[in-house]
Amino acid sequence: MYVYDTLDKSLLNQRVAEFRDQVRRRLAGELTEDQFKPLRLMNGLYLQLHAYMLRVAIPYGALSSDQMRKLAYIAETYDRGYGHFTTRQNIQYNWIELSTAPDLLFDLSEIDLHAIQTSGNCIRNVTADPYAGAAADELDDPRVWSEIIRQWSTFHPEFSYLPRKFKIAVTGSDADRAAIKFHDIGLKIIRSDAGELGFAVYVGGGQGRTPIVAPLINSFLPAKDLLRYLDAVLRIYNLHGRRDNIYKARIKILVKSLGVDSFASQVDTEFARLDPALFVIEDGELSRIRDMFAVSYSRAEGDDEARLEESPEMRRWSDSNTHAHKTPGYAIATISLKPIGGVPGDATAEQMYAIADLADRFSFGEVRVTYTQNLVLPHVRQADLFVLWSELERLGLATPNIGLATDIIACPGLDYCSLANARSIPISQRISERFSDLESQHDIGPLDIRISGCINACGHHHAGHIGILGVDKKGEERYQLTLGGQGNGESAVGKIVGPGFDEDGIVDAVENVISTYLNVRSAGEPFSETLERTGHAPFKERLYDRN
Amino acid sequence: MTVINIRGEAIDQTWRDVDGAGETDSLDSAVLSLTSLKEHIEALDQKSLSRIGARLTIDDNIKEVADSAKHLGLIELVFSHFKDGRPFSTAVMLRRDYGFKGELRASGDILPDQALFLIRCGFSTIAVPQQFSVEQFRAALSAYSVAYQAGSDDQLELVSDLRRSAVEVAAE
Repeated sequence: MYVYDTLDKSLLNQRVAEFRDQVRRRLAGELTEDQFKPLRLMNGLYLQLHAYMLRVAIPYGALSSDQMRKLAYIAETYDRGYGHFTTRQNIQYNWIELSTAPDLLFDLSEIDLHAIQTSGNCIRNVTADPYAGAAADELDDPRVWSEIIRQWSTFHPEFSYLPRKFKIAVTGSDADRAAIKFHDIGLKIIRSDAGELGFAVYVGGGQGRTPIVAPLINSFLPAKDLLRYLDAVLRIYNLHGRRDNIYKARIKILVKSLGVDSFASQVDTEFARLDPALFVIEDGELSRIRDMFAVSYSRAEGDDEARLEESPEMRRWSDSNTHAHKTPGYAIATISLKPIGGVPGDATAEQMYAIADLADRFSFGEVRVTYTQNLVLPHVRQADLFVLWSELERLGLATPNIGLATDIIACPGLDYCSLANARSIPISQRISERFSDLESQHDIGPLDIRISGCINACGHHHAGHIGILGVDKKGEERYQLTLGGQGNGESAVGKIVGPGFDEDGIVDAVENVISTYLNVRSAGEPFSETLERTGHAPFKERLYDRN
Repeated sequence: MTVINIRGEAIDQTWRDVDGAGETDSLDSAVLSLTSLKEHIEALDQKSLSRIGARLTIDDNIKEVADSAKHLGLIELVFSHFKDGRPFSTAVMLRRDYGFKGELRASGDILPDQALFLIRCGFSTIAVPQQFSVEQFRAALSAYSVAYQAGSDDQLELVSDLRRSAVEVAAE
């Protein structure tokens, strides 16, 4: 884990003091709401339907067990006993008071946590592969580079008042568990033919009302040039991104309007002009960071054999909720925050405390947050999996559904969010209940259902195999259905199938899509491949056949 | 209007607003719009330029006077709205790319909370908006003692420098 040094800490403390003073000035009338708004947003504080919402940064989705305990404490002390893990690999609290928000941020700062740049038109909290440092298929640890980016982007004097928000994601593996091509900048760690470490750089991806899979603008950026290149991209965007229309202000629109080649050449020109000396990533700093992420694995005889045979339930959980680790004898275990009929991503304070304890017992005190709204224990000994599973089972956290039909991503929707047009959570709960049978879920296989309550697409519906978008049609909640999106690995935007449905209709529609798939699939063919082969036709026929 | 320097101290105003003035010899200490500056620029040598200021609105393009920009005595970038951050980048480019060494002033709609960012992007003075006090700006300028990224200024110590010297001290 990256641990703050005295310099990181003093910056954080100064931020807490600054925000406390900003709240004081707002309450004293020295700042108007219009002036205060961007300042509070850059400290993670939104005004929602019923209360303030605070979005706490979890840099690249990595938490220590003590940080998890602090998140539990915050839930108990400032909220209603729970928190909500989101598609930005962070946590949101939905019932916050403005007057106590500075105390909350002070409490977080004691354990190196904060809400810096989790909102606002600035460079947002950087996200990364939740299996970083553990995955067998990883080329290099994306957390190292994410931490470099975190520091560079924190309180950036030039890039804090951008045309719009700016999200950067990093992955070190082909499987891309960070959906990098749906970000303003996606960085994929690669090696050149000569063996030099670097990045493939994708710019201008995003979801919202204009979903775009980011195009490649640089096929090999040497790692040492990372910050200089990011600086060039951000300057071109800050100067030329649109500011007249909020819906056209993201960098994806700039890249699209200039064309990929023209945009890339503007970046190259700016890059060439910049003094490399200002953007040096020192070897000493790189190894300082890298060393902090190192884990000392220990191995005992018999570790390679998980005790799968002991229980069919355990085997099912192991099949869906564990993943190959780079170190023999270890596994990556995912804790599902998608119990059947539950609120996707919600965790109670008690659960957070318990997960922190499990992380200490079984995973070197580390927890990760996935953008699919689950938690990960990244380094679990195979030999401990059975005990871990039993503990999770006892806590109601062992739902064996990772990557399956009930592992649904949903935004907070109209239950909380002031931007929403429709509810997302109750729809996801009903779909989850409809497919609660574990046998049939495992039979259906990998299936990615995602729900957004408005076109801002926080529920990533564009990238779901089955995407659901809530819209407001003359005062009624309606749901549009898209098929064929892809979030991990190869990214793709789904296409709308046909007319929308009401609340009951959309749950039936999802069932119809799935039963059509079961009818037309070839043996062993996952949903996305069947859809690719057949197109929308058989699904459409089933969905809209009035006879 | 009060103008402050990088330490948040009010400074004497020697620049005057004379936009539209016709004669070159009356332009001493004058602050001109980009349009006026372009009208006069042919007739001005380096020395006269150093006694002239330019006021650029958010949509003005400094490239139009690129060759002369670095000789100007003052360039003022006017914020149309504090949320429109383009002048931060314009300031960085003026210092780094155009080699502008004169007074770089931020004016218009600015919050005290942006003061440190302004200085770190290379602004040397700030026109304090009516609604705020010099004290509020001064307080904001001292809100932070270190920074993660190199700026166009020496206002703050850099985290990277401090970490490097800590390592060197430890090695001795």
